[in-house]
Amino acid sequence: MKNFWLTLVVLLAAAATSFGVFYVVNDAPAIRRAAREGDAMAWLRAEFRLDDAQFAAIKQLHDNYSLVCSQHCAAIMSAQRRHAPAAEVAALEQTCVDAMTAHFRQVAALMPPGQGERYLAIVLPRVSHYTHEGAPTLQVKS
Amino acid sequence: MKPPPDPDSLSRLLAVWRVAPRKDPQFRPAVFARLSAARPALPWRAYARLHAAALGGALAVALIAGAWVGRDQARTRVAADRDAIAREYVQALDARAMTR
Repeated sequence: MKNFWLTLVVLLAAAATSFGVFYVVNDAPAIRRAAREGDAMAWLRAEFRLDDAQFAAIKQLHDNYSLVCSQHCAAIMSAQRRHAPAAEVAALEQTCVDAMTAHFRQVAALMPPGQGERYLAIVLPRVSHYTHEGAPTLQVKS
Repeated sequence: MKPPPDPDSLSRLLAVWRVAPRKDPQFRPAVFARLSAARPALPWRAYARLHAAALGGALAVALIAGAWVGRDQARTRVAADRDAIAREYVQALDARAMTR
């Protein structure tokens, strides 16, 4: 009976070791840390394997785009405040979507080969599938 | 002085004497339990060699199950985190999201 329990312990230890090894191999701690800290730039760097030059260029693009984004935001808010026709608000929102899409394509072009396509496959559906459920609570960190 | 017992009466008594032991259903298992308790314990290595096929199969199942669950859990958590940060990233650049 003692041997049976000892065998069971050996099997459990083998399963636990196997679990641990495969968990570590398939984990992406940098991505998980970025998500936990809400640090989108760190996520971009880890997820798409950016080198320093690529990261600096993309960060610059983001900084520039944040100004454009603020202008779009102000224009939409102004239209909403003065109760502009729905068509006008829709047109402003479409301008925002077009600018965002162009920005994402510029960012993708700066990424390593293959990573740009993967980046667009992740971000573009999230633009078109935006559900207008509420304002974001986190900003892109620099 | 006491007279010696009559050998004939003892023979008669033995002739009619019947033993009717009470049946004990635990008798046989108890005997085997005592036998196995008295036997020296098999070392684990010898036990493992004795059950090598079963042990090898169980070990393979344990390794594969552990690997599969570990891989699945890690990928699920990374995918959930990736989805969350990608959503935040896009919304942070979306003027529509900031005006609602």
